[in-house]
Amino acid sequence: MVDLALKMLLDDKGRFLATVLGVGFAVALVLIQMGLFFGLLENASITIEKLDADLWVMARNAPNVDFGNPFPETHVQRVRSIPGVARADNLIVWYAVVALPTGAKESVIYYGLEDFGRWAFPWNVIEGSTADLRRGRFVMLDESAERRFGPFAAGDTREFQGLSLKIIGRTREARSFTTNPMAFIDYQLAQRLSPEELSGQTTFIIVKLEPWADPRTVRDEIQRRLPYNDVHTQAEWMSISRRYWIESTGLGLTIFLTVSIGALVGVVIVAQMLYASTTEHLAEFGTIKALGGRDIEVCGLIAEQAMFAAFLGFALGLALTLGLDPLLVQLDMKLSVTPTMAALVFVATQVLCLSASIVSFRKVRSLDPAIVFRG
Amino acid sequence: MVVLEARDVTKSYHEGPHEVQVLRGVSLAISRGEVVALEGPSGSGKTTLLCILGCLLGADGGRLRIEGREVDPRRPGRLWSIRRRSIGFVFQQYNLFPSLTAMENVVYALNIRGWRGLRAMREAERVLGAVGLSDRRSFRPRDLSGGQKQRVAIARALAGAAPLILADEPTGNLDSDSGAQVLELFRGLAREENRALLIVTHDPAVRSIADRVVAIRDGSVIPLES
Repeated sequence: MVDLALKMLLDDKGRFLATVLGVGFAVALVLIQMGLFFGLLENASITIEKLDADLWVMARNAPNVDFGNPFPETHVQRVRSIPGVARADNLIVWYAVVALPTGAKESVIYYGLEDFGRWAFPWNVIEGSTADLRRGRFVMLDESAERRFGPFAAGDTREFQGLSLKIIGRTREARSFTTNPMAFIDYQLAQRLSPEELSGQTTFIIVKLEPWADPRTVRDEIQRRLPYNDVHTQAEWMSISRRYWIESTGLGLTIFLTVSIGALVGVVIVAQMLYASTTEHLAEFGTIKALGGRDIEVCGLIAEQAMFAAFLGFALGLALTLGLDPLLVQLDMKLSVTPTMAALVFVATQVLCLSASIVSFRKVRSLDPAIVFRG
Repeated sequence: MVVLEARDVTKSYHEGPHEVQVLRGVSLAISRGEVVALEGPSGSGKTTLLCILGCLLGADGGRLRIEGREVDPRRPGRLWSIRRRSIGFVFQQYNLFPSLTAMENVVYALNIRGWRGLRAMREAERVLGAVGLSDRRSFRPRDLSGGQKQRVAIARALAGAAPLILADEPTGNLDSDSGAQVLELFRGLAREENRALLIVTHDPAVRSIADRVVAIRDGSVIPLES
């Protein structure tokens, strides 16, 4: 079969290129916005995901993992005695001010645990051993801290809340949503850094269940024993932590608006290009009708053109997005474009480009085939 | 065998508050292998009649039969199937698809008629050979002369065995030599292929190839010569 749709489309290379570029940039805008958004959201819950705790105990209404409130550390004993609990530990997540060699001060979010190795946390240690953290006033820093702290190496010291700590290692990929660098220190040292708030206190209890234990049953029992605390499963806590940033910062709305505008720009470009092309080829569409082509077949030609432009535009947009990733990494920004997201954007691109064809469909449906006799 | 039979066909248009009667009871019949020329001054209703006979437009009254099947003007949505099955068109402006080659122009028309694959290719090669353009089948319309374009259009109309060919001023954009060649081709093919051919024209040269000449005057068709 002769593919008139594509031949017609490719006959005007300039217009075709402009259409594909328009769709491509709109797709890139959408993918980059969504990719950065989900990349940020991943940071919002990455420590929850990587800690592999089945349940999290926290102060009532703690909004997310970065903003826990203190409660008595002795509560962990009540949790450990519950049948089905394999292990439970106190975890401190708090903020400290770090004095830099330049004299400047930066904030850091630090995680304090008694036994990091038992929780396989942090998950990507590239230098040093977490087992050494309990041996003195030592700290592990994520390598992303170099962006704000400047270069550092194992053996260097930095002042955390006025206390001099020695850097004994570094991690990778440990970032919070707030973009504050992440540090890892011994639990008791964590309390010492902020004695007014954290003496005898913890901000979380992390719980690992026995394989046979029912999470809901154990959670309910913990809640019964600690009525003034909240207890969440890992999945719930990840969702709560992410939702906090989406709702409280207006980030969700901003991203939604930006993505919508990007999509709208793409639709307008395709609609305008297709309509101009349809108007220019009216005589040909009239001829097709005169030869016996039905309206749906003529509309099918236009739909094929829209979908082809959408396909190539999506490919270009995706290539632009993925090509930009190394640059974003250099800027310490995380782009999270999953196959599912890409597939959804692909489908949306096709649907929107087809929608953009509706004006052209109406034009050809109302076309009188007798136009072929009007010269 | 009668391919087209029109009886007492009427058609009027509304121009503002006025009703203009364009066709007032036109009757015409054309048989296979017959060439009929239709003459008439501008505004006489030739194009309207052609559109009705070609099932591009529904008549207000009268009867129209194509290959013995009644054409129902109350069902304009079915006219496309009659055009697809039974009618080939040749237009004054050629109306070829500029992005397709000569071969592809013919194959595309066959695709519309339901012909596919090798069957369509072979039929396209046959009709292009019949109009003497086998060596131009890979050329696009912009690379063909006016006469060659019209021959491609004729090949397209003939492809697929439609029994009725309607031609609107087929020599209108051609010089006299090209026009004469096209007319001879028309006549030969109409007879060899046993098609019914109606040519709407101002060109007196068409009379030389027509079996019958009719004129349309004041909305009616009158025979002139045969």
